[in-house]
Amino acid sequence: MRGGTGEAMILTHFQTMCLFAFVVSLAFAFLSRNRLKERLRYAIYAFLAFLLVAVAMGWLMYPVSH
Amino acid sequence: MPEEIPTSPEAQVPEAQPVFDGGEPLLHDEPSAALPPSSFSEPPASSRSHWFLAVIVAIIGWTLPGGGHLLLRRWARALVSFCAVAVLVFAGYKMRGNIFPPHGTDAFDFLGFLADAGAGIFYPLAKAAQTAGPDVSRAAGDYGTRLLATAGVLNVLILLDAVQIALGEKN
Repeated sequence: MRGGTGEAMILTHFQTMCLFAFVVSLAFAFLSRNRLKERLRYAIYAFLAFLLVAVAMGWLMYPVSH
Repeated sequence: MPEEIPTSPEAQVPEAQPVFDGGEPLLHDEPSAALPPSSFSEPPASSRSHWFLAVIVAIIGWTLPGGGHLLLRRWARALVSFCAVAVLVFAGYKMRGNIFPPHGTDAFDFLGFLADAGAGIFYPLAKAAQTAGPDVSRAAGDYGTRLLATAGVLNVLILLDAVQIALGEKN
């Protein structure tokens, strides 16, 4: 990852996906659950689901790209 | 002579209490079928105040992500909402994603603007801060564009949650 003034921060596709999944799953957990334990459980579940579905979709599309 | 105690099951059931009073439901019961439909024609004052609060919450929630929940004293949701939108916008901005202008050249640009504008105050801030302009020649710039759009759409979801709470439809 590079950064700095005037230079774009470079994240890989997987890093960006992890960032997206982490932030959105945390927000979803706090919006849809009320207790801390439930929120934590839901955030982990949603985070893993985001990653799993994205990787699965990637492999599903792999034959089409070649 | 002692008073006779009723023994049949029907006699032991207490008389049903009215659950609807002038159009305002009590104890969250369904309105009684015996009441005339005119009981629902005039919305109660509390309903009007709920709608007024919901509009205020929607405006503040859109302008400042998490502001709607802040107004409703949902501190944790407000903090997480603000941080989530801020992180996504900051990452998108740092990756030099495309922040769509209001006057796009085609429908997709306009849709992109709508998504970006959902981030409220962060939209003009990111637009003003991005003096070098977007750089979508690299994949990272394209990812940044998506993160910026996600931030806006996420904020719309957050403000809808706050509106539901303000209307009393959600705890």
